[in-house]
Amino acid sequence: MSGDSFPLNLPLPRFATDSCEATTLYRELRKPLLRYLAGLGLSADEAQDVVQDAFLSLHKHLAADGSQENIRSWLFRVAHNAARNCQQSYTRRMGEPIGPVFDAISHEATPEQAVLAEEKFRRLDTAIRALGAQERECLMLRAEGLRYREIGEVLGIPTSTVADTVERAIKKLAEKCNV
Amino acid sequence: MCDFSARLVAWMDGELATNEAASVEQHVRACEHCRERVSAYEEVSRGFAAYYTATTQTAIAAKTPRKLPRFVPVLAAAAAALLLLLALLPRTVKPVPAPPQVAVVHPPIALEPAAKPLKPVQRRHVAAHRKASNQDWAMAGPAIQIAIPADAMFPPGAVPEGITYIANLSLTDGSVQGIRLQP
Repeated sequence: MSGDSFPLNLPLPRFATDSCEATTLYRELRKPLLRYLAGLGLSADEAQDVVQDAFLSLHKHLAADGSQENIRSWLFRVAHNAARNCQQSYTRRMGEPIGPVFDAISHEATPEQAVLAEEKFRRLDTAIRALGAQERECLMLRAEGLRYREIGEVLGIPTSTVADTVERAIKKLAEKCNV
Repeated sequence: MCDFSARLVAWMDGELATNEAASVEQHVRACEHCRERVSAYEEVSRGFAAYYTATTQTAIAAKTPRKLPRFVPVLAAAAAALLLLLALLPRTVKPVPAPPQVAVVHPPIALEPAAKPLKPVQRRHVAAHRKASNQDWAMAGPAIQIAIPADAMFPPGAVPEGITYIANLSLTDGSVQGIRLQP
């Protein structure tokens, strides 16, 4: 028997590879997921919990030889569905004042420019609040760089519906902002 | 209203098929109105992205204190009250005395009918200087005799068969004061 070798079909190599992939994905997608969940109205702690649960589900998914295609949209979909379960806080953020937000991002040189920029920002804020939930979700996922096909996978709607929704939402914003 | 106006955002996002994208691009180059619309949509898209990033970043950065379940303060107060009550209570419970140690002798083989049953006796501390002598033995209190067959104490063949030893236990104040074996 000496000299004979047996192939070892241990799950360790694949498991380690998947763990590395999951770690890389965590670094790349943690913040976008947190932003999206905050945009849906979750608090910082709720968003952190949902993201951790989503990556835990991903770890189990990969360990169980689940499909590795479209992992980004898979994670967003898991997070989106978890956020849907937090219905009480789902639209909470939309009622909050935007003054501190504008102060944080305003870098205008003169007071006049700052006033104009704030007025523009308030119009945009009003227009965004007037959008439907699906329109806002499509725009947020689009702002995160997801393709229409991926947005459709996250929200569970056809790609053609995503295209129509994005087109309609952008036109609404342009109209209400007088652009 | 141009025929391509319904696909301008999708064209901006690179979501159209190659042929269709080429058609829209050719139209936009020629149509001033559509160029203005594309410019407006790009501005709105940038504004939305900035708004989205700013609002969500501040929301993520704002650490909200975790709410404890409502029952936690009640349980904590109850636990504190219980601890305080236990600390203030006088120690009225008397310690339970330990049961006396009893020496039980198990005869290895059935006793002879003449032997008296062995009673459990209380063991007491025996002074080291006290030595049991024959005279002391005779002076001791009531004795208990236990018949012990010799083959129960010695290996086979060491003593003739049928020999039985008698153990005399002298008792004083209910305690064993000495043991003597007689064949």
